Amino acid sequence: MKGEIVNRVVEYISKEIVENADEVEVTIVEEGPDEVVAEVRAAKSDMGRVIGRRGRVAKAIRVVAQAAADEEGLQAEVEFID
Amino acid sequence: MPEVEWVEVRGKDVAVAVAAAVEELGLDGPDAADVEVLQQPERGFLGMGGQDAIVRVKAKQPTSRRRRRGGRGRGNGRASDSGRADRDAKSSGARKSQSSSSGGDKKPRNDQPRQSQRRNTEAARPKREKEPKVEVEIDRGEQAEMVKDFLVGLLDAFGLEGEVECKVEEDIILANITGEQTEALVGPKGAILQAIMELSRTIVQRKSQAGARIRLDIGGYTERRREALRIYTGRLVEKVTEEGGEVMLEPMNAADRKVVHDAAADLGGVRTFSEGEEPRRSVVIAALEDE
Repeated sequence: MKGEIVNRVVEYISKEIVENADEVEVTIVEEGPDEVVAEVRAAKSDMGRVIGRRGRVAKAIRVVAQAAADEEGLQAEVEFID
Repeated sequence: MPEVEWVEVRGKDVAVAVAAAVEELGLDGPDAADVEVLQQPERGFLGMGGQDAIVRVKAKQPTSRRRRRGGRGRGNGRASDSGRADRDAKSSGARKSQSSSSGGDKKPRNDQPRQSQRRNTEAARPKREKEPKVEVEIDRGEQAEMVKDFLVGLLDAFGLEGEVECKVEEDIILANITGEQTEALVGPKGAILQAIMELSRTIVQRKSQAGARIRLDIGGYTERRREALRIYTGRLVEKVTEEGGEVMLEPMNAADRKVVHDAAADLGGVRTFSEGEEPRRSVVIAALEDE
């Protein structure tokens, strides 16, 4: 499946960061032949943790997600969905 | 090599200055810092006059219970990032800057210990929440295990073979990832490595309810880069010592800037400070006397 590594990595990191790991859900959406979007959903109370102060955590997750995508020759974006 | 023990930072208010200092020292947050307010900010009139806050910040000793003083007042939002022109310096890596640092540095003190640096930050950082924290004994070994577990799991999620080691030295958690495949996790200018370090810090903070100083190396990258930076700093210090004036380095992250500050402090004969706003904040190496 395309974006499998991205999915695994983003899900793993998100679950480590939140309080309610069970409520983390990551969905991979194919945006193009070489591009995927990882949609991250988490408990409302955890969204702040996943995004972080001034978006620092979100930014770090995006960087690592792209590293995961590089392993598959893809471009990856991460969207945090409320 | 002596570590920089404390930094002096100028900012439009205390909170802004403290936030910048905390970042520069690589601390986890204001709660990990001992703050001394050297100058309270004063509001100017129509952007004229007024003065910045100046704070001296050092890492809090585990036993220390001092709390920082709250920041107040909004200084005049003066344009920052003086003399930064462009990145034409990229080839040489440094640019000779004749302009003195942005108006803020008008009161240089030469009686500072050599390990001090004066910073100048105008960044509009939001104030940190001041929530009192109960001081608990922090088990660094346990935190190091958390970092290790996180990194092992991360390698696994990536499907990469590698080894993770974590140890605690001088209250800092040193994490090391080795293995041929893992060098993919360094990234351009160490960007991926930085992100992984940031995430490790966040996760330790959440799981242990306490901050930690974490350094991560992957395949010896950080150490090689530090050594190269030290050598490079040495050349620039020599140049500034001989020719006077100041030299601005290319923008770097806080950890790399600290390597430059430390290396320059170790060599002596110059002063260093940082200019510009994250993520384009640069160290300036300046001759001691005539500015």
